[in-house]
Amino acid sequence: MRRKISIVLTIWSVAFSALLLTGCNTSRRIETAAIIENVSVNRQDGEIIYTFYRLTDDEKPWGVDVRADSLEEACALAEESYIPHFSLAKLELLMIDEDVYEEVMESDIDFISTRPSFSPIAYVTLCDDKTMESFRENNRAQRVIEEQLILLKNHNPDVSINYLSIFNQFAREGEESFTVPFVSSEKELKVSEFEIRRKK
Amino acid sequence: MQARIKFSSKRFLLALMLCACSIILLQNDDLAADTSFTFQLLGILGGLSVCFVLFLPSLFIKIRTDGDVLQLAERCTPRAKLPLAAVYSCCFVYTALYFLLPYTEMFHTKYFPEASPCLITVVLLACCVYAACKGVNVISRFGVFLFAFALLTNILMFGGSVSEVDWGHCTFALRGDAGEFLQNTVYFVTPAFIIPIFACLSGCVSNFRLRQPVFALVFTGIKYAAVIFFICFALGDYSRRQGFQTFLLSRVAHFSTFAGIESFYLALSTMAVFMILSLLLCCITKSVGRSGELRPIILFTGIILALDVAATYLDPVREVLTNPLLFVVLTVIPAAVIPMIWYFIGRKSNAPKN
Repeated sequence: MRRKISIVLTIWSVAFSALLLTGCNTSRRIETAAIIENVSVNRQDGEIIYTFYRLTDDEKPWGVDVRADSLEEACALAEESYIPHFSLAKLELLMIDEDVYEEVMESDIDFISTRPSFSPIAYVTLCDDKTMESFRENNRAQRVIEEQLILLKNHNPDVSINYLSIFNQFAREGEESFTVPFVSSEKELKVSEFEIRRKK
Repeated sequence: MQARIKFSSKRFLLALMLCACSIILLQNDDLAADTSFTFQLLGILGGLSVCFVLFLPSLFIKIRTDGDVLQLAERCTPRAKLPLAAVYSCCFVYTALYFLLPYTEMFHTKYFPEASPCLITVVLLACCVYAACKGVNVISRFGVFLFAFALLTNILMFGGSVSEVDWGHCTFALRGDAGEFLQNTVYFVTPAFIIPIFACLSGCVSNFRLRQPVFALVFTGIKYAAVIFFICFALGDYSRRQGFQTFLLSRVAHFSTFAGIESFYLALSTMAVFMILSLLLCCITKSVGRSGELRPIILFTGIILALDVAATYLDPVREVLTNPLLFVVLTVIPAAVIPMIWYFIGRKSNAPKN
């Protein structure tokens, strides 16, 4: 009986110390405000701006602008200067402006592929300036875009809508081009296809 | 005491099969990168054929004597007990570390980078000590539960990855050379670690049939083929960008808005490693002749922990403890060489004297 009690007590003390040391302390608590749901990239005054939209229930998205040349640099800056305990584990959508995709898309996807914290099936789409504006103004735009992306994928399975498939498309040899989604916003949000030519 | 109670061989082989199947969850760039799916299938075929050949001596002993190699050695050559115990315990400690180190690395890199890998080891080993005290019978009962959970996890992992399958990612043509075939085959010989466990503990089981280990190996082959298929065709080149490809597969699996089953993956790999370590501790105590006793279990757990800590901080130690060729050598000796020697010694001592 005494032996059993000592074993149970040992297991409990080990489990308790494990909890304390692995995440149940205040220093490791991640604030909801530090969870990034979406990232957009566009050009403002000749500089590339990465906007990190935090998880929120508000009508208006809560974004933080970071000037950087790549997503890797932007993530480092965001964590260091703007959002402590910054987390990209719940990232759902990366929106890239059509003006900057040639400069950042391949290198950013390449960076994402090396990070275990990013979900490989998060959506990636190109968009125009108006969509970027409406995305900044209204939190509903993200849901609408995601629904449209799923519909587009169902309609045309060849279109690459997430990091995984876009990375593989860039890495693939032989074919000259592949298609990704493009969100435009003339009267309402509309998703179409956009052809990307691989670098030779 | 526990060794004398015989239980169903089916249950024991089911537990061993789950151990063999589940270690592919810890696959971390062990396969040659530029080989095609079909070429890797040949590696699976080659590796599991070697496993079957290695199984034969222990199977002959079980069929002929209804006991295990340790019982046979004790009966035929009582003087050899100590060297035999030393060889077996050394091999089992190495095997335990061979799986424990990738597991702690996976846990540390993918889930809790802030947690110390040694702490993960301590918690896991504490649970394994308790299970090893309970004996093989209880651990094999846990295997039945694990089988149901593994089935669910695999259905979710493969079913959820179907939508990402793209035939353009990989080819069916044979692509690879002899060196790559050898590398893949050495990796697919890894499930042979269940053979020394069988060789040591098969004396505790009854109603053994030859088809049971054959089924275990065939099922292991099918599971490996399915994992390799999804890594090649659902992940494609993305799989080479990060370690632990099966973890990546679990992150990719999704059903509509329900995405990522990495918690299932973590639970399955934890339970599989827990069962492997517990069975190995049972084997160690049996080989030193003290089944189920706490003291030798604690002693060998301490040795495993000390080596794990050394491997965590010293790279040369880690390289030695995770060397696949050394692992194969230290598996072949207790799995085939020792049982074969005692099988012939047993036959000789039973032969009618003129």
